[in-house]
Amino acid sequence: MKKKLLLLLGILAIGSVLAYNYIYQDHRNISEETAEYKVTSTNLVEDFIKDVSTTQDKYLNKTIEVTGIVTAKDANSVTLDNVIFCTLSNSSTVALHSNTTIKGRCIGFDDLLEEVKLDQCTIIK
Amino acid sequence: MKTVLTLIMACILSVSSIAQDKYLTKTGQITFEASVPSFEEVKAKNEATTVILNTENGEFAALVFVKAFRFKNALMEEHFNENYAESDTYPKANFKGKISDFDFDSLNTTNKKMLYSGTLEFHGKTNTLTDLPMTISKNEAGQIVLSGTFSVNVDDFDIEIPKVVSNKLSKTVDVAFSFTLKKK
Repeated sequence: MKKKLLLLLGILAIGSVLAYNYIYQDHRNISEETAEYKVTSTNLVEDFIKDVSTTQDKYLNKTIEVTGIVTAKDANSVTLDNVIFCTLSNSSTVALHSNTTIKGRCIGFDDLLEEVKLDQCTIIK
Repeated sequence: MKTVLTLIMACILSVSSIAQDKYLTKTGQITFEASVPSFEEVKAKNEATTVILNTENGEFAALVFVKAFRFKNALMEEHFNENYAESDTYPKANFKGKISDFDFDSLNTTNKKMLYSGTLEFHGKTNTLTDLPMTISKNEAGQIVLSGTFSVNVDDFDIEIPKVVSNKLSKTVDVAFSFTLKKK
């Protein structure tokens, strides 16, 4: 009888831990994910301009690495070749006009400004 | 030769004068909340909205990346994207509208109330918003600051809330925005 009760309690405990972990699971950590695609800034934006929907399906919500020249920056964003706008997860120092690779999550193509937007970015090099 | 030069100068001048009429941001903030008291907060924040304001006539456009809405709870964020906003199919929401009686020269550091109207597209559905108030000011750095709140009904955007969670989710969603626009 006692054994059964203990077993039941044990199952209940494991069950609630699993449920808790499922409901309060962690957010994706983009900086620790491996990039699914590695592209240059100009190739990426050209693909979007040529065919938005196909390119969107390919890259949306994916972790990608984009390489280009830094054309603008401020405290928490970096722009590559005027066409890739990256929001950084942590402010970091990167030199203007330097060749840089950035890893981040593609959130879509901005057709107002013809830019690709990435968020939760980290600077690789 | 002189005429060619004048022509080129005229072109450059006209191009730059067009560009001067635009104010924009790429990091506009939008939050929405559909919480029900005493249940877990249903709230998300987006800091990646592109907004362009034409200061000649008060027309503005906002492009919202739906995937960029961040929730405290990762599972809630996943459900929002997969079941409600269906952000793989509808990755963007946008607002196109106009501020009534917009007068750029009247803007200063004190907050002014102005009305705006336009169309909001989300989840593949478009609805018209009419005469909503927003606050406009111009800060010391010369940037235009727009902010405001409005409410929308989830039914108007064809979003179905399953019965199981219907008591934990409000059918009216409160949206708040704050955009600091820089001269282009």
